[in-house]
Amino acid sequence: MATATLERSRPRAGGPSGSAWPRRRRRGGWLLLLAPIVAFDVLFFLTPLGKLVASSFTGGAYARVLADPLVTRSLVNTLTIALTSTVVTVVLGYVIALVLWRSGTVMRVILFAVVLLPFWTGILVKNFAWAVLLQDNGLVNDFLQNIGLTDAPIGLLHNRFAVIVGMVHCLLPYAVFPIFSSLTAIDGRLALAARSLGAGEVSVFRRITLPLSTPGISAAGLLVFIISTGFFITPVVMGGPGDMMIANEIDYYARQLTDFSGAAALAVILTVLVSVIAAVYQRVLKAGGHHETL
Amino acid sequence: MTTSVIAPATHQPSTTAARKGAIDLRQVRKTYGDVVAVDQLDLSIQPGEFVTLLGPSGSGKTTTMMMVAGFEEHTSGSVMIDGVPVDSLPPRERNLGVVFQNYALFPHMSARENVEFALRMRKVPKAESRRRADDALDRVGLSGLGGRKPRQLSGGQQQRVALARALVFNPAALLLDEPMAALDKRLREHMQEEIKTLQKSLGISVLFVTHDQDEAMAMSDRIVVMKDGRIVQSGPPEEVYNHPVTDWVASFLGDTNLIPATVISRDGEEAVVDLAGLGTGRVRDRGAQGERYAVSIRPEHLKFRAGPDGENGGAGELTSSTNLGATIRHRITVGGHSLQLRELSSDAGASGHAVGSAVHVGWDADKAQLLVLEG
Ligand SMILES: Nc1ncnc2c1ncn2[C@@H]1O[C@H](COP(=O)(O)OP(=O)(O)OP(=O)(O)O)[C@@H](O)[C@H]1O
Ligand SMILES: [Mg+2]
Repeated sequence: MATATLERSRPRAGGPSGSAWPRRRRRGGWLLLLAPIVAFDVLFFLTPLGKLVASSFTGGAYARVLADPLVTRSLVNTLTIALTSTVVTVVLGYVIALVLWRSGTVMRVILFAVVLLPFWTGILVKNFAWAVLLQDNGLVNDFLQNIGLTDAPIGLLHNRFAVIVGMVHCLLPYAVFPIFSSLTAIDGRLALAARSLGAGEVSVFRRITLPLSTPGISAAGLLVFIISTGFFITPVVMGGPGDMMIANEIDYYARQLTDFSGAAALAVILTVLVSVIAAVYQRVLKAGGHHETL
Repeated sequence: MTTSVIAPATHQPSTTAARKGAIDLRQVRKTYGDVVAVDQLDLSIQPGEFVTLLGPSGSGKTTTMMMVAGFEEHTSGSVMIDGVPVDSLPPRERNLGVVFQNYALFPHMSARENVEFALRMRKVPKAESRRRADDALDRVGLSGLGGRKPRQLSGGQQQRVALARALVFNPAALLLDEPMAALDKRLREHMQEEIKTLQKSLGISVLFVTHDQDEAMAMSDRIVVMKDGRIVQSGPPEEVYNHPVTDWVASFLGDTNLIPATVISRDGEEAVVDLAGLGTGRVRDRGAQGERYAVSIRPEHLKFRAGPDGENGGAGELTSSTNLGATIRHRITVGGHSLQLRELSSDAGASGHAVGSAVHVGWDADKAQLLVLEG
């Protein structure tokens, strides 16, 4: 292991210092170290995936599922819900990351714990907690009535709003960390320089901080979007009948209809769709000059 | 007069509008908790003057500059720019051009956009700001490179962009914190000359920070030597170099021979001293008071003599000669002191002393300085 690392981390230019190390080492040696992982992946990931893809092509599954109006509906739902929660999550995550970035050590530790909390809590717990808060006689409605803003409970649960609230809560850490790390990568003296050149707080943010944190924003956006397309429990617990996403449809095909090739076809459709969107997204970012990573 | 803020090189500074850029620090003090970073600092920079803060690491140079720029608030005292107290002004209202150690160029903007930044902040119309930025880039010898991003520029070019960016908005003064630290020796010397030329042609005052004494000597109108947050000596380069007030200043500014001295008489201009083992000497005096004294003679001011010649010198033995290229460094033991004598290689042939031979050395009274021994 040690020799393999040294071999790889040695500067490419070689030079006299390079010759101090044993030069010729069988190239295949370190590949052997990968064998367990490769075996594991082939056995437990590639094989089932291959089987899934293969079964999706049996019995006209694609034609069948695409003709199902519920499927098209859930595909549209998936894209709109995922997009909305991504935008909300990234905006909210940016604000949290900014506060984290600007706060002192103690405050930072506390905030980190708060941001990480959703990571340590099961998704069911998080969703039911929100359901308790948002239900008709829940905390939020009670509060709204107490301050006299509303006279009757308003429907906060079992609709799209609730789904997005639940999802954003789960997704936040995935946005906060990439953005936070791109903020901390910004040289603090750039802000000083900008201020000496006449910039106020707003200009420093708009012209320095924000543009230099775009790598974090775009990474967060992609990550959050991909994760959000796969939500399954949240639409069930917090959504209404019209808020089912593609994962719910897969579940329906597999368990209610016991149409496994149909379920497989849906899974493939989702994977392809997300991959295409991710590829286009990255292409667009590149064209927009966002390769300006620090 | 063009609207360009950077005057063409042919303009004499005195013919342009009334010069500005006087900076005054009065009894400025800065503490971080228990650490006193700067203390009792009195410093005045005249319009058009090039003042260098010179001192070892941690002596408070950066802190002083940051207080002038407005990035650090001083604990007490006051800072004035052109006679106006700026203690409560944020950096962006102080109108000072700052060049940071690693330039702090905005990596996502082209060189031109970097230079234009201050103009955009001042709502200068697009066309004019672009023209002024290009003028400024021309001025620092970067015409045609305005479209490049900082990472596509060499270290020297980046520094020029930083200079253009700090000068384009016609600041009252220029503050530079070790701007040359990242450049190699040859480029550093070249940039020293360029910055000096630029400063002279603009007639702008400069507060320059460095811990490199050669750089300070080469560029400054006045050197302010700092130690432990305080000013130990301030004056023109030659004066600080030839007439240091303490042994610490003498050693910090270069090699020197320090000979312990007992004062026999002094009148504030000249002192007669007893130099243990070297007889009596007549040396320059600036009236510095202390417990113990020494005389400082720079190696290049110590000369070989043909024979015994009364005061200010003595007879000894040449113990070593080292050729340093342009100069030769000799070590001579005289009256129990090991002294360093430096002469130009081109002069060496004439004296031609062999190692181990008896020699006479001496110095001119006005090249030896009475100073206070610290610690
Ligand atoms: N933010 C800070 N907090 C605490 N102490 C500080 C801070 N900034 C500077 N100091 C202390 O103040 C003193 C002066 O520091 P300063 O940076 O001004 O030195 P300097 O002369 O610029 O040194 P260098 O040549 O290393 O840049 C040092 O003792 C330093 O440790
Ligand atoms: Mg410093």
